Amino acid sequence: MRPEDRSYLDSHEWAKLDGDIVTIGITDFAVEQLGELVYLDLPDVGRTLDKGEAFGEVESVKAVSDVNSPVAGEVVETNNGLPDDLDALQNDSLNGGWLIKVKVTGADALDGLKNAAAYEEVVASES
Amino acid sequence: MATSSTETVLQTPLANNHEGLGAKMVPFAGWKMPLDYGSILGESKAVRATAGLFDVSHMARFLFKGPHAAAELDAALGGSILDQPVGKARYTMILQDDGGIMDDLITYRTDNDEIFMVVNAANRHRDWEILTSRLHQTECCDLTEDGGGILAIQGPDSHKILAELSGGGSDFCPAFLDLAEIPSPWGDLFIARTGYTGEHGYEIFVTAEQIVPVWEKLLELGAAPVGLGSRDVLRLEACLALYGHEIHEKITPLDAGLRFAIKGWKTREFIGGDALRAMGDPTIELAGFTAEKRVPREGYAIFCDGEPVGEICSGVYSATLDRPIATGYIKKGVDGAFTVDFRGKQLPVKRSAMPFVAHNSRG
Repeated sequence: MRPEDRSYLDSHEWAKLDGDIVTIGITDFAVEQLGELVYLDLPDVGRTLDKGEAFGEVESVKAVSDVNSPVAGEVVETNNGLPDDLDALQNDSLNGGWLIKVKVTGADALDGLKNAAAYEEVVASES
Repeated sequence: MATSSTETVLQTPLANNHEGLGAKMVPFAGWKMPLDYGSILGESKAVRATAGLFDVSHMARFLFKGPHAAAELDAALGGSILDQPVGKARYTMILQDDGGIMDDLITYRTDNDEIFMVVNAANRHRDWEILTSRLHQTECCDLTEDGGGILAIQGPDSHKILAELSGGGSDFCPAFLDLAEIPSPWGDLFIARTGYTGEHGYEIFVTAEQIVPVWEKLLELGAAPVGLGSRDVLRLEACLALYGHEIHEKITPLDAGLRFAIKGWKTREFIGGDALRAMGDPTIELAGFTAEKRVPREGYAIFCDGEPVGEICSGVYSATLDRPIATGYIKKGVDGAFTVDFRGKQLPVKRSAMPFVAHNSRG
């Protein structure tokens, strides 16, 4: 099973809460489905995101896909070097290949997202 | 009239081999086919550097027999068949009355009174209906589901590997498009020096008994398994047209720059010929583009100096050039700064000569 310290979206993004900062990335399953990555677009720091809003694009040899924000809030940091060196995203998307950090308000930021067990069912249905 | 469009997903006799090799299997034109065996880019490089092996048994195989077969096909297809020598393959098309392309295909003149044909899997049933309605005195057979198939071995080492498998000399198919029968431990193999990569290569038409052992032996001799994802990269690098992309019903062979596929078109009588002769010069042309990072994909709009001039047909990430490449139809003769609308963002692309990677198929 994937890490239980975070929540997941059906569209294969993950969100990990630490204080009022949520780190966001895409799952290894998403990367595997995309295949060999060629391009990543991340938002500017300071942009405000709605829950579910597309904030970036990830493109592979095969396809291009939007990346959606699991939470609402303000982008406070992006994984700067990642677009120019996609190895961490390709091989370690759950850790070193994180995409953005978002400052959220309220303790219910992750409400409505799936836990690791529920996300596992999504993966199983698409495998 | 055969309208056996089936909802069952077909699989080639190599389905178990593909799964055993860890292939990602995907639906394609009613078949379950290998998209890749782990790396589209790595497989593309293997074909250019050594040799790759493709299972293309989804492609439809037709056989036409009888004393009128060549003459009837000559009138039914865009290309001339009457003057096609026995022992040679030829690339041509099925056209509709208005000159639009219904499919592209290869004919193999296996005898004076016998022509073998391979057409796109996606067009199999439509092609069969068209051809059987255009041929009246010719025996037509659809061999696609006879348990055999087509293997393609492509790349600079393909001749060496095939000669080693055959053990019967290496003087087969001296020229591009030559046909041959070569010995093998599993009986004679019918081969053609054809392919869809731009490399020196062969397509091997195998029987139900031959397909698995020949596939396994060619891998053992050093060919790398290559999936459909890489096949698309390789064919676009070589600027070989793909039905549904560069060519379709709204495009004529003249638009597509494929006059060689309708040899003799100015004087021959064939379906679509009158329309082609009555047309003026094409108002569009197929152009090649390279991009920086993002792949210009099918349907993206092309602009020249800010004016819309066309649309992308195909785009892939080229393993050989290590950059995105694409084709698109543009208004003929436009020149200036080209950009493409990448999902709402205008980014520059560069017009490129075609093919993107030089052909070695005749070498």
